[in-house]
Amino acid sequence: MAYIELENVSFCYPGQSRPVLREINLSILNKGVTAITGANGSGKTTLSKLLTGILLPTKGRIKLNGQLLTSLTLTQIGRQIGYVFQNPDKQLFCETVEEEIAFGVRNLGLPPDQAAQKVREVMDYFELTRHAQAYPLSLSAGEKRRLALAAVFALEPGLLLLDEPTTGLDPYRKKLLGDYLDKMLAAGRGVVLISHDQKFINRYATRLMGLQDGQFIEE
Amino acid sequence: MDAIVVDRLSCRYQAAGRQILKDISFKVAPGEIVALIGLSGCGKSTLCLCLGGIIPHYLGGELTGQVLVNGKDTREYRVAQLALEVGLVFQDPDTQLFAPTVEDEIAFAPENLCLPAEEVGTRVNKVLDTLGISDLRKTNPNHLSGGQKHLVAMGAVLALEPSILALDEVMAQLDPAGKKTINKILVDLRRQGKTILMVEHDPETVSIADRVLVLEEGRLIKDGRAVTVLGEWESMLRC
Ligand SMILES: Nc1ncnc2c1ncn2[C@@H]1O[C@H](COP(=O)(O)OP(=O)(O)O)[C@@H](O)[C@H]1O
Ligand SMILES: Nc1ncnc2c1ncn2[C@@H]1O[C@H](COP(=O)(O)OP(=O)(O)O)[C@@H](O)[C@H]1O
Ligand SMILES: [Mg+2]
Ligand SMILES: [Mg+2]
Repeated sequence: MAYIELENVSFCYPGQSRPVLREINLSILNKGVTAITGANGSGKTTLSKLLTGILLPTKGRIKLNGQLLTSLTLTQIGRQIGYVFQNPDKQLFCETVEEEIAFGVRNLGLPPDQAAQKVREVMDYFELTRHAQAYPLSLSAGEKRRLALAAVFALEPGLLLLDEPTTGLDPYRKKLLGDYLDKMLAAGRGVVLISHDQKFINRYATRLMGLQDGQFIEE
Repeated sequence: MDAIVVDRLSCRYQAAGRQILKDISFKVAPGEIVALIGLSGCGKSTLCLCLGGIIPHYLGGELTGQVLVNGKDTREYRVAQLALEVGLVFQDPDTQLFAPTVEDEIAFAPENLCLPAEEVGTRVNKVLDTLGISDLRKTNPNHLSGGQKHLVAMGAVLALEPSILALDEVMAQLDPAGKKTINKILVDLRRQGKTILMVEHDPETVSIADRVLVLEEGRLIKDGRAVTVLGEWESMLRC
């Protein structure tokens, strides 16, 4: 069964005449890396907000594991889809880097020592340990990006939805991210990768979708 | 005269904080394109903020050594005056955009210079056209996609026609067409004798640079011809 199913989904921002997305039908599985490309302004970020229930379709419907997205709370959706925003500033809100990662992990219901272990692991993997006590919004752009990724990855959702995740990452950190994606795939999880980073896409994508004039062309 | 002179520059964000830039010195001649690369967190954006005088004027912190742009010591001039010399495009365009429409955003700085309305109009049209964003003219910048925002931020800076540009990872969120547009603009600007400092990670983007500087943990560890430095850096990263 599809993990996410879009049925005739259209979306138009309020007060605008031209829809950003038109009658989209699409199934996304929780395996492999589905890459979504498209010109600036083609609607990739808008689509990601629809998939996570932040925006509601103007027409059509979206199902997550067979359930209508509109019947789920944002928290319930968040457990199943780990969404990393294009602009990490918009998702960082804690006082310290460590707390930012621990915040979501605490809700996983793990015993405290296991939870702490998990926080340490991702913090280490994304080379954030030296910034553990730093204020997230005073990090450099690449550090913020890694923190946003780490905080979401720590929750091990069935599907990761990453909006331009390589922006601000240097080549070495890109490879760290890629290696992590490989691990997720091996563990039977899926990834939706929105990106312009052709090299990264070529290396990791298993399915390539192009967004153009509000519709998808499979490539 | 050199366009940029950075002389024994060190800085930190708080007086008691970690040293972010450590004793950096380099010069850039007019008409050069210089790329600044290094792992994230090494201080590239901080250096850009120093060039525009944002550090120390707005963010405070502690700056020792000297930064001169077109001979002006950044400590002695206000940020608004420095903006006429160095156009700074921030890594996060949201920090830079505030006007109700794209057109207002681009007209803002030239209007503030009290340029005649006609001249402002001409500049706005020219910039929108060069960047290929004329159709976004009436749009609210908050409603733009990430890549479109970077183009608008770039436009706002170009409209001031500064002789030096400092671009902090502007290519990263652009689609291939946007990258090509910016590339062409940079090459044109170099031909006009303008100076460009660009922070980028992608070797392909960086390849138009005449020179590459590498920062590591706040120190300038390499300064040389693009081909040589990029090759060394890539093998250093083992990827
Ligand atoms: N909040 C908003 N209100 C109105 N229009 C918007 C808003 N956000 C985005 N848009 C418009 O929707 C289109 C798609 O934007 P977006 O999904 O961010 O594109 P992408 O991520 O592919 O670059 C763009 O033309 C953009 O200007
Ligand atoms: N406002 C700030 N307050 C304190 N530390 C900061 C601030 N901005 C950046 N830093 C720190 O300074 C270092 C260099 O950051 P930055 O210049 O943004 O790096 P780069 O652009 O090379 O990725 C980073 O370790 C970052 O955490
Ligand atoms: Mg986007
Ligand atoms: Mg930076």
